[in-house]
Amino acid sequence: MKKLVLIGILGLSSLSANAQRQIEFIEYDLDNGIHVILHEEHATPIVAVSVLYHVGSKNEKADRTGFAHFFEHLLFEGTDNIERGEYSELVEKNGGALNANTSQDRTFYYELLPSNQLELGLWLESERMLHARVDSVGIETQRSVVKEEKRQRVDNQPYASFFTEMFKRMFSVHPYNWVPIGSMEHLDAAEEADYVDFYRTFYVPANATLSIAGDIDIEQTKKWIDRYFSSIPKGEAINLYRDFENLADSEFESKYGASKSKFDKNDFLNPNDKSARNILRKYSATPVNIPRPEKATEKLTTIISDTIYDNIQLPALFMGYRFPEQTHEDYYALQMMNDVLSGGSSSRINKNLVEKQEIAQFALSFGYGLEDAGAGIFAAIAANGIDLAEIKTSFDEQIELIKKELITEEEFEKIRNQYENSFISSNSTVAGIAENLADNHVYNGGADKVNTELENYMKVTREDIQRVANNYLTQDGRILLYYLPKDSE
Amino acid sequence: MKKSNIYIAGLAVAILLPSLSFSQIDRSIRPKAGKAPEINIKDSEVFTTKNGITVILSENHKLPRVSFSLSMGSDPRLEGPLAGLGSITGSLIMSGTDNRTKDQLDKETDYIGASLGASSSSVYMSCLTKHMDKGLDLMSDVLMYANFPQDEVDRIIKQNESGLISAKSDPSTMASNAESVANFPDRHPYGEIMTEESLAKINRNAIVAYYKSNFTPKGSYLVVVGDIDRITTEKVVDQYFGKWNGSDEFKQEYGTGTFNDGNRVIFIKKQGAVQSVINISFPMDIEPGHPDYIKLKVLNGILGSSGFGARLMQNLREDKAYTYGCYSRVNVNNNGSWFTAGGNFRNEVTDSAITEILFEIQRITDEYVTDEELELTKASMNGSFSRSLESPSTIARFALSIIRNDLPKDYYQTYLKKLEAITKDDVLEIAQKYFLPKKCNIVIVGSEEVLDKLEKFDADGEIEKLDAFGREVQDLKPTNASVEYVFNSYIASISPNYGGPKLLKKLKKIKSKSEVIEYSNSQFPGAITSTNVWISPNQNGTKMEMSGMTLQKQYFDGSTGGSSSMRGSEDMTQEEIDAALKSEGLFPELFYAKTGMECDMQGIETRNGIDYYLIKLNDGNSEIYEYYDVKTCLKVERKEIRSRDGETMESIINYGDYQEVDGFLFPMKQDISFGGMTLSGEVKEIKLNAKVNIDDYK
Repeated sequence: MKKLVLIGILGLSSLSANAQRQIEFIEYDLDNGIHVILHEEHATPIVAVSVLYHVGSKNEKADRTGFAHFFEHLLFEGTDNIERGEYSELVEKNGGALNANTSQDRTFYYELLPSNQLELGLWLESERMLHARVDSVGIETQRSVVKEEKRQRVDNQPYASFFTEMFKRMFSVHPYNWVPIGSMEHLDAAEEADYVDFYRTFYVPANATLSIAGDIDIEQTKKWIDRYFSSIPKGEAINLYRDFENLADSEFESKYGASKSKFDKNDFLNPNDKSARNILRKYSATPVNIPRPEKATEKLTTIISDTIYDNIQLPALFMGYRFPEQTHEDYYALQMMNDVLSGGSSSRINKNLVEKQEIAQFALSFGYGLEDAGAGIFAAIAANGIDLAEIKTSFDEQIELIKKELITEEEFEKIRNQYENSFISSNSTVAGIAENLADNHVYNGGADKVNTELENYMKVTREDIQRVANNYLTQDGRILLYYLPKDSE
Repeated sequence: MKKSNIYIAGLAVAILLPSLSFSQIDRSIRPKAGKAPEINIKDSEVFTTKNGITVILSENHKLPRVSFSLSMGSDPRLEGPLAGLGSITGSLIMSGTDNRTKDQLDKETDYIGASLGASSSSVYMSCLTKHMDKGLDLMSDVLMYANFPQDEVDRIIKQNESGLISAKSDPSTMASNAESVANFPDRHPYGEIMTEESLAKINRNAIVAYYKSNFTPKGSYLVVVGDIDRITTEKVVDQYFGKWNGSDEFKQEYGTGTFNDGNRVIFIKKQGAVQSVINISFPMDIEPGHPDYIKLKVLNGILGSSGFGARLMQNLREDKAYTYGCYSRVNVNNNGSWFTAGGNFRNEVTDSAITEILFEIQRITDEYVTDEELELTKASMNGSFSRSLESPSTIARFALSIIRNDLPKDYYQTYLKKLEAITKDDVLEIAQKYFLPKKCNIVIVGSEEVLDKLEKFDADGEIEKLDAFGREVQDLKPTNASVEYVFNSYIASISPNYGGPKLLKKLKKIKSKSEVIEYSNSQFPGAITSTNVWISPNQNGTKMEMSGMTLQKQYFDGSTGGSSSMRGSEDMTQEEIDAALKSEGLFPELFYAKTGMECDMQGIETRNGIDYYLIKLNDGNSEIYEYYDVKTCLKVERKEIRSRDGETMESIINYGDYQEVDGFLFPMKQDISFGGMTLSGEVKEIKLNAKVNIDDYK
């Protein structure tokens, strides 16, 4: 009895210990709209400098897809002050590392630097934001790089087109209709003006979150941020500045009604000339219009069933369901449901379809949560000689089971352990913290979610998991994609 | 009223604006690095347990995670005829215990999301603090009760056999073996290399004995890092490791390695190589934590790190285009330290590349490095050192190093300061103290055609020749046997039922052969099935499948051919067609004279006491080396080397277990290695005159 009480107390104390491990941060907006998040921790003398641009493939025009991802490449080409190819070199030479990535919803850039190189990181990112080089040489170079990437990662990969095929059918209205890699024809058809326009629309301060984590001095960091980022013009004035740099005088004058000479090259924001001041004031006050799609409302109300012939040997089945957007309260339970079905080798789908029944080479399910909508996907590659109908039956059995019966206590405990582990691990590096803070600010309703997100998972009950399975795994509203080898066509 | 408000607001703006410093900055000025930051590595606590474990605790409560890393305190042992025993034992520690099977270990580890691993002299576990008890239970189980099931022993030994076969065609492994033997030739554990003979002698008893003697608490170090305090650490260490006992740790001094009197050239032959691996090395008398160590790292960074502008890269790649990469490394260990530089170079420039590398080693011992080089290297080292600190395992490694090497407590704490303080004078002094540009071991793995240009580098003009495992090779013994004699004897051995004209008559009746081989590798589940067909006189096809999925098909129909896989298809080039035409018939050896295959007797090579005829073939597309047992005249190995666009591809097939099928002997065992991987091949079926259609392979 005494022992039990002790265990109870120990359990409690470990809980409260977890709660104390808050990730502290401050956040504020610059006048030009950049949202700044700073997390100070001195454990390691390094700093992660990241900028998240709230632009992804869903912001693209339907006839210009692939732009967001293309820009992720293009924006390493340099600026007026950074030579072509020098951007990465500067970081590496100074002991840092860097990378970037693009999704449907965001484009994310980061540098991981020794903390005494923070200023360099800020300069690099501010250069990228203010006046990246968007010209034909860079566009040509990166077009071939991106095409090579698509060939390698999509075209030459068996089954890899399923993402495109699935989203095409799931979202007929919302721009999730296409995926970030986009269309190479669109990239080819686009002209330099299209690219410049994309940069002017989305690469503006009001669309950026600057998130910095690591060994920093908050006050000094704020000063440098002021220096490099507050000096970036506000609203449409940033594009006025870009035109000032790029246009010939006559073009500039016919566009703005004032000669470039009225502006001060060395102090652009404080011209002596009155007309220039007026123009500057007017454009600063005009916000850049950033087009964003409406949240996806379309539902799957019928079974959409299609066959796709691909360069493959073994047939495969992909099933798609409509899930809510990633901020929806049901999303936590849906993620956990997926882990029961497919988290690790001891999960239900792997145990049944792959190990016991041996009907699939490989089978899994996963949730794909996005800003405006979500998707749940089941995928299996058939074992040799197995009909896809058999796979579908088996998937359906698993779906029926998780709808009908509560998951076991043991399964529940395992996935809770896994969540806690991965949540804690995701905040173990400053790069991870910078990214999580920015992501939570932009997409999850607040950077502080970084401290509270796990609670939402821990609140999920076995009953919740059963409920969301019933609500979202709609057997009469789903997509079935049957992948068959080309030569069977 | 209104007006004055505006006025006041305007005034406020005017006053406030400058303080917001929205004024333009000169963006062409690149920010300079700030002062090198000091790192915050907390002091560790140290205590010793009754059974002899030194526990090093590095508290870090940032995350609710904890790791336990236990290293044995023994010095490495000479393994002699059992070279490789330690590494085999290490691979087997996680293979099951008296209390749990391997599957149970895996399952229980996954359940708590822990990570558990082991090597020949360490065990490691990390998990969330709240699962610590379970994690330690698993860790102490593998530490104390590993039971080495025989089937797992067999599996790991088989895996290593494959590895050794692959090593024989991997020039960088060959070079590193020679490097170890050259620097540590004299009864030093670093100079011991696992070979087929030593592996054959390793068995479960030896493994268990090694485990018992090496895994002992006496002299061991347990590094505990993370969310745990001193009292809890003492408690769990006693609870999980208190019962652990064993003999005293093994202590042995091995010395610094062997210094040369002059440059020494060591050559390892790699048939058909179009590139040479160059590896230039010498021992250094330095131990970890020595004050010179950081300076030595800076010196090496300037000479041959992977960063922009390092000298070897600049000279040999950027200026001369001899190579894609040329690097150097300092290896500093408790039982012996050494320097290495090198890379891969085209045959034609092998000697020039050696000249340039030696020149750079010499130059850095003669002249000051530039300020720019020094600053760049320091900045880049600062960065990678700092970034490495994020990982708790780095902190653990440092804590251990401080205790083991008797370093000042703040050694790593002040690392960046020490780095920053290094001057050009320091670098020159260190170069002169440790670098031996005229006493190097110059190891070359390459084609014999580069050999005559290497003599000039050797102090006494006598090049030493080693094999893939660093053993001296004897030159081939000459033989009077002709190629025809060997081929005829081989054919006679595999067709014991037919002689002379009878054989030819019989062969005429054989219109096709089909063969199914199943290839497997202990590291991969599943098997690759290869179906090979031959149709008289010289059509052939191959189909490789895995789990019913076709990986690749290949055919030659006597005039044209090609291959196809999931990546697309490719036609044979004219060169490949001409080469294919040189192998015709069920036993092509009978027709080489007619088809124009180039055949040359190389001599007799002795391996493991057995003599083999070595015959070199050339079909105009590949060089092929075939080994025939002098006694039985059976073919035991075929090595094929194909060069294309400056790259060579090499495959080796080892033949064994000849058995009779329809009156002929065929090898039932056909192991194949290529690209660093070895697959064991077992012939499942051979049919003569079965119905085959070449179209199935198109």
